[in-house]
Amino acid sequence: MTFEKMLEELERMKTKALGMGGPEKVARRKAENNLNARERLDLLLDAGSFVESGMFATSHRPEMRDRTPGDAKLAGFGNIEGRSVAVVANDFTVLGASSSVVNGKKIRHMREVASKSGMPLIFLGESAGARMPDRMGAEGRAILAQDPYEYRRLRESPWVSALLGACYGSSTWYACLSDFVVMRRGAIMAVASGRVTSMAIRQEIDSEELGGWKMHSEVSGLVDAVVDTDEEALAMVRKWLCYLPSHQNEAPPVHPVPAGSEGRGGRILDLMPENTSKVYDVRKIVETIVDLGSMMELKPRFGRSICTALARIDGGSVGIVASNPLFKGGAIDVDACNKVIAFLVLCDSFNIPLVFLVDQPGFLVGVDGERRAAPGHIMNWMNALALVTVPKLSVIMRKSYGQAYLNMGGGRNSDEVICWPTADLGFMAPQVGANVLFGVKEEEDPEKYHKLVDELSRDTSGWRLASLYEAQDVIDPRDTRDVLTQLLRVHRKRMGSGVGKHLLANWPTTF
Amino acid sequence: MAQTDVLSEINGSIWKILVKEGDSISEDETLVVVESMKMEIPVLAPVSGMVGKILVAEGQPVAEGEAIAYINH
Repeated sequence: MTFEKMLEELERMKTKALGMGGPEKVARRKAENNLNARERLDLLLDAGSFVESGMFATSHRPEMRDRTPGDAKLAGFGNIEGRSVAVVANDFTVLGASSSVVNGKKIRHMREVASKSGMPLIFLGESAGARMPDRMGAEGRAILAQDPYEYRRLRESPWVSALLGACYGSSTWYACLSDFVVMRRGAIMAVASGRVTSMAIRQEIDSEELGGWKMHSEVSGLVDAVVDTDEEALAMVRKWLCYLPSHQNEAPPVHPVPAGSEGRGGRILDLMPENTSKVYDVRKIVETIVDLGSMMELKPRFGRSICTALARIDGGSVGIVASNPLFKGGAIDVDACNKVIAFLVLCDSFNIPLVFLVDQPGFLVGVDGERRAAPGHIMNWMNALALVTVPKLSVIMRKSYGQAYLNMGGGRNSDEVICWPTADLGFMAPQVGANVLFGVKEEEDPEKYHKLVDELSRDTSGWRLASLYEAQDVIDPRDTRDVLTQLLRVHRKRMGSGVGKHLLANWPTTF
Repeated sequence: MAQTDVLSEINGSIWKILVKEGDSISEDETLVVVESMKMEIPVLAPVSGMVGKILVAEGQPVAEGEAIAYINH
């Protein structure tokens, strides 16, 4: 056969590259029930769609070339539900997927192609950090991670990170720059490993406490979703991308409306208690409004007094920002502020209309909030909201008190404000106001107290807001889905094919 | 066996205690209702297990972050 030796050489090189860190390390991973990087790519991408980039890359150091197949970070392109994506999958069997000069070039190429060609970029994280000796000394400074492009984010296309093992260095940094982060229980994300941190601060550190799923989903808020297995994490990445366009200059994909999506509004009257001192779980109300089964809540364990969720109405993607009185009575704390700001950035950057569902008693006041710069976060939210150019619809379900009325889309901060007949636009709960504003307690002066409560309750209804045309309609709660469907059609950005101006595209989403 | 504290996430007063020490409870079950901002706000079990000890009484004020009970699991 002609070219026989050349083709044999190609096969030999491929076999070596596909063998990753060698049979022993691959077998050890399997025994530990851990998927390897290539198995993860197979699960993530549509079957047979992966086109590898850099299969024959290795360390640039002659003494390491032989033991660095793929140079520890696999890269390439493939499809998810038929749409192109770029992907970087860390291969922990090769020097702990450490960051090197050559694999840094691979990441840069994936970033450039994803941005220029308009496709999502996915990072499958599991990495030990910077590689030694690549990073050592002045030479290390000169050749690795010195490029400002590496951490610049302009959101030309969506970025996703899955945290699937020990994540230090690049896996952590890219997760914090991503629009969606899913973490597998048992994975760790931190600046440095528990061992390094323990030595640095001379204190025993538990890795789970340092950067486990509970910490990141409940305290830092850096993780959007938590799952138990790699398979679930990769399925979650695929699911999240179904709500997103491939890039910032197109509208999100439209899906068929599932049968059974209509006619569920009657449940709202059962889910919302008539007694305003009773609370409820707003997520059940959201589920009745959006297309059947389309709700995907983000950060469900963080800043829980507001629920943020991607969903679909009439087949199109929407971003839901819903007060959840089940937690803190719906009072908005610093975590909830930060969660909403990150969500506004996501939706504005990728042309997803926003729907606010409001039942909030105001910002949560207290020393803790002030020490965490609550006023600054509240104003960041207002600034972000004013810069959002996707359609914004606000439905005032029950309370909308105080300054937070504006944060939740009140006034002209939404394209349309709709009230349910239960809407209450006071400045604060009238019973609290009588006490706080006038120092009158019921037990001390019941007559004066009740007079003040009556005065503070006057003209706080949605009807008054509608008569001033600050609310554009008062609707039967059961009709909410129909009304939102019509208004989303009205506000579809026809002049720009559903594409906004992306004024938030370079905002940070962690504070 | 591990022990997990059940914390109040808000300032208020204990309005109702719905469980007793020794009760088996599931994650997200309401253990106690705190009254705050004229609302009845449930305190949910962070994990499934058994109510180890209840540290508050009805009518008592409670601060954000204060332990209300603990669960053995």
